[in-house]
Amino acid sequence: MNGRKGGSRLMARSPASEGQPTSAPTPSRRRRSRAVGSPWTPYLFLAPAVLYIVVFQLFPLVQEVWLSFTRTTLLNPNLNVWVGVANFQSILSNPSFQQTLLTTLMYVTACVVGSVGLGLVVAMLLNGKFPGRGVARSLVTVPWAAPGIAVALIGIWMFNPQFGILTRLLKAVGIDPGPSGVLDNPQMALGAILVTTIWQLVPFVAVVLLSALQGVPQELVEAAQVDGAGRWVIFRVVTWQVLKPTIGLVAVLMTIWSLRRFELIWLMTRGGPSGSTRTLVIDLYAQAFDSKQLGTAAAIGMVGIVISLIVIIGSQLVARAAAKEA
Amino acid sequence: MRSRHLGVTARMVGVLVVLGLAIFPVYWMFVTALASDEVLFGSDVNLLPDFSRLSVFGEALADGQVVGWLINSLIVAAGTTVLSIALGIPLGYALSRFGFRGKTSVGLALLFTQMLPEALLVVPLFAIFRRFDLLNSLHGLILADTAFALPVVALILKGAIDGVPRDLDEAARVDGSNPPTVLVRIILPLIAPAVAAAAVIAFFSAWNEYVFAVTFVFDKSLQPASVGVAGFIGEQDTSIQSIMAVGLLFTLPAVVFYLFAQRFVVSGTTAGAVKG
Repeated sequence: MNGRKGGSRLMARSPASEGQPTSAPTPSRRRRSRAVGSPWTPYLFLAPAVLYIVVFQLFPLVQEVWLSFTRTTLLNPNLNVWVGVANFQSILSNPSFQQTLLTTLMYVTACVVGSVGLGLVVAMLLNGKFPGRGVARSLVTVPWAAPGIAVALIGIWMFNPQFGILTRLLKAVGIDPGPSGVLDNPQMALGAILVTTIWQLVPFVAVVLLSALQGVPQELVEAAQVDGAGRWVIFRVVTWQVLKPTIGLVAVLMTIWSLRRFELIWLMTRGGPSGSTRTLVIDLYAQAFDSKQLGTAAAIGMVGIVISLIVIIGSQLVARAAAKEA
Repeated sequence: MRSRHLGVTARMVGVLVVLGLAIFPVYWMFVTALASDEVLFGSDVNLLPDFSRLSVFGEALADGQVVGWLINSLIVAAGTTVLSIALGIPLGYALSRFGFRGKTSVGLALLFTQMLPEALLVVPLFAIFRRFDLLNSLHGLILADTAFALPVVALILKGAIDGVPRDLDEAARVDGSNPPTVLVRIILPLIAPAVAAAAVIAFFSAWNEYVFAVTFVFDKSLQPASVGVAGFIGEQDTSIQSIMAVGLLFTLPAVVFYLFAQRFVVSGTTAGAVKG
């Protein structure tokens, strides 16, 4: 320990030193922290990146917020007519936007439930001892590593109405997607998009949960076995308790990612057929570039952001309540 | 212990099924690229690749346009990586090591930007880029892609720097080093694996990026591979074999690098999300 040598400077630890083995912050240390060097030092380090994010993300975002209260077309984007909340009123009362919201809700929910559920199964499978475990753990991540564009490409080919291998498989088990195929069938397109999305997400969830599973105390599992507890009881009482925070985190990530997913859906179906795969981001893009209504598009984007924020804040509140209970 | 209940054999079968499902679509790209028209459009399904037709990959690479796409993607991805790492290291360092006013806001902003869809920001960015003459250029794409890679990179690096004992900084500071020297000499060598992981994430977020690339670049000669490959969709002139061959050439670098850096990448992504 270099406590003596550091003198008063050591008192100046920032809150970021929490979790450091050496710090053990006392209340007085945590609050009033003056960093080493000049008080300007941290700002010099962060200025370039913060400036960058302000210019390329926050400034455009503020413009979008403003656009959402105007009538603006893509053909003349500098002519903005202030319309107040009219864009929001018109989208929210529009039945096709209500369908978009419902589709988004179904898509996001199914993505989260499907990827977390299957990801948990895969993680439990990979968590045991078996020959070739390392190779299996690497290879299972291939879907997550594949670029979305390539996934869309192979998805379209596998669902090809005549020659796609998945179409042949569906026909073999007695499901006929019709002459124009699964991706052009309003009853099946969303399912096909979901299968493709979940295929891509499961490996990520599995690898994250796998690393959480390694934190399950084996003594507890063995003690429970000695007491004659069944596998399901052990899972519920021991494993699930350890996994819960990680599952919560992954579920939030899956929600946010699924709310903003674009290429996969756009390239596979463009939101069709008859709007059956039109999520918020697809609607936003189509409004801006097909209908050329930038104000409406911005308003749709704001709805998406509000939903994401609700999910994030809600999950924080739930996590905090759970932490308090424990 | 648990394997006694499930049985190693049952587990192996399960693992093989999962691996088969995970790998099959990419394998199927490969098989399709190597299939003849008769096989592809016949009534029977042939599940095995026809290695006598490997030249389809050579032909794809002999097409100057495809090579051009891949080179453009490489330039954009490399530029995005360098820029986002260069900006992300000092930001991660500041967030990890200093207390300052506005720190919480910066951390929250980094999380918040991760939920913004590119499709939302593409319109105002287009206007900004037009004003500064950044449209239709690879460096413009680098600037746009960096905006989306930087928050993730910074959070990964912050998490990694959090893991470096502060005693090392303090010792170096006592010896008279200033913060930039501490960062470069002491901390960076210790977090090299995290920097590599962040670089992989930044590289492939730009390699895979589509919305900005398709909106900001008009010249065919400047198109990156994401736009080129997506352009095959709905197009009738190119054979499905060539499309799959090009698609695979576009996919393989990402898959290989992720397999290699998988552990760091996954822990980095969640670290960014958990710790903020």
